Amino acid sequence: MLIFAASDKGGTGRSVTSANLAYHRALAGDDVCYLDFDFGSPTAAAVFDVVDARQDTEDRGLHAYLIGEVSEPARIDVWSETEHQVLRFPPPGCGRLVLMPGDVSGGEFATGEENLRRCVDLLMTLYYEFDLVVIDLSAGRSYAVDMVLEATAQPEMSEVTARWLVFHRWTRQHVGAAASLVFGKRGILAGGVDRGHDEEELRNSIRFVRAAVPDPESPLWSQVSPTQSAWMRKTDGDLKQLASNHGIGYSQVLGSVPLEPVLQWREQLITDEDVLDSQIANEATWQALNQLAGRLTDDKYWEQA
Amino acid sequence: MTAAPGQPARSVLACGEVRTCLLPSLQALDRRAAAQLLRLRADVDVRISERPTMYVLSPEVLTGVDCRLPTSNGSKVRAVGTVAARAALTEGRLLQSTAYFSLPAAGPDIRRPWGQYLVRPGLVEPFGKLPQQAAAEGALRGAGRGELDLGMIAEGLLAQLRRHALLDRRVPFKSSPTKLRWVARREPEGERASLVSFVVAEGGLRTMELRLPEHIPAASAAGICEDLALHDWLLTTVQHMLDNSRLGTADGPSVVEALQPVVVHLLHLWMPRAHVDPALGHLWDVLEQKPGFSRQWENLSRRIRDRLALQAVATPNQELSAR
Repeated sequence: MLIFAASDKGGTGRSVTSANLAYHRALAGDDVCYLDFDFGSPTAAAVFDVVDARQDTEDRGLHAYLIGEVSEPARIDVWSETEHQVLRFPPPGCGRLVLMPGDVSGGEFATGEENLRRCVDLLMTLYYEFDLVVIDLSAGRSYAVDMVLEATAQPEMSEVTARWLVFHRWTRQHVGAAASLVFGKRGILAGGVDRGHDEEELRNSIRFVRAAVPDPESPLWSQVSPTQSAWMRKTDGDLKQLASNHGIGYSQVLGSVPLEPVLQWREQLITDEDVLDSQIANEATWQALNQLAGRLTDDKYWEQA
Repeated sequence: MTAAPGQPARSVLACGEVRTCLLPSLQALDRRAAAQLLRLRADVDVRISERPTMYVLSPEVLTGVDCRLPTSNGSKVRAVGTVAARAALTEGRLLQSTAYFSLPAAGPDIRRPWGQYLVRPGLVEPFGKLPQQAAAEGALRGAGRGELDLGMIAEGLLAQLRRHALLDRRVPFKSSPTKLRWVARREPEGERASLVSFVVAEGGLRTMELRLPEHIPAASAAGICEDLALHDWLLTTVQHMLDNSRLGTADGPSVVEALQPVVVHLLHLWMPRAHVDPALGHLWDVLEQKPGFSRQWENLSRRIRDRLALQAVATPNQELSAR
């Protein structure tokens, strides 16, 4: 299965959350590949803590592959290349976790027949090889989004299950922006239909992920004044109403990830050690990520709303 | 020592790369479909043998090259000629593509008209003298940018075949492709072919070094390499499936579900040396002794059958106790 991770704005935690989902699935025994299609600012190497390995693959990344400079994009085996103390020792029986990095020097580029051909070939090859392929796309209606919309519309990819996650923060601006990224005039849906996707089918393969959501009921906020508390509840309720008005209400949401300092500041994978041993990350975050990872392939959450 | 134009040059080195993958099709292809898939040229027939396993070999296609050879010591050797590529399908299930070429000890310092290269299919001539050791090591290490990239040619052919309209582009289970890079140094005639090394590296890469007497064509070397690559792929793939945690701790129908593809699609494919040049069949003996390819395969297939047998014993008991 292919999972495309998109967001309207930067800073939504798209990369770090989708990387954590890939990690959870690999722990559960799936073979997972993570592609950094964020051509403007590839960050995945830092998230998986493979910065050194990344330097060795300089200029042999996805960008160089798509423009035809190398025959295959570089692969980094996260378990064996990472400098992260915990990731180096994955539990027995877990699946493979492979990162295909972007190129630092690679910016956006014009779409062409050849690039598209290579993109389809790559996605198909990975689809045959991995249980789950996570593709992290640049923010907004970027070239990367257009390219994968075009690629997945090709007849040879008709049998491939592709799903979209749209990440947004839990604010008024982000809710509106996420809705317009999908349903807007120049949105993913319209762009997909232009390229030959079936509208209904594409709509049903898109779900939203609310990131950095403060939970008014959380013990974090138990010390706030009653006025603040009431205001938080009210605002949260208003946002839910707003999301629902924008067509990204409850039924369209795959899950939410709580506000988590470790995700916000460190932008790295959260391991069980962070939760249980050093306890720098919240149990609730781990649970949310695990739940979200499970729902990626659970058809119940992808049925017609 | 420069071969005079028109005179066939004796090769001192042959290099190749084999890619092995599962055919993206839910059903294994039958003989007719396989022949249609591998019909890369209209003028040459596909070769089919049905005993002891169905094996279909495509005609060779040529790719003209004019670029630097990969070398281990950084010496820049320009080479011109043609690389041969071919594809094989075993039991309508495993698809392989190979790109390979031979190198003479030295070539002319100027580029000749294309016609002269075309009459020597699969021969690539260096400009000047060939640094044999560096070229052999370079071929095993793989090509850098702008260097002669056999992987690209093999992968290109594989990609073309996987796009074929005959295939439904669905796989019965997930599996990783492997690549095997090989070099064969030429020995004087009369010597016996031998296997110098077979190395299993990271990321699905295998490398192999051979010594090959002059009278054995490079195509035969490509054949034994394909045979070894195919069996190595089987071992790698089945081992990976057994290592997976979902199988390790699983119980009940999920075991049957996980092992079913191995039984249906892979267990019957083990048939070493089935379509190998008899002059090279003995190269298998080395690998049978150590590490013991067939021993490992027997062990794996026994494990699978035992797991399934245990499951079969347990199932009726559970059903009885549920009543």
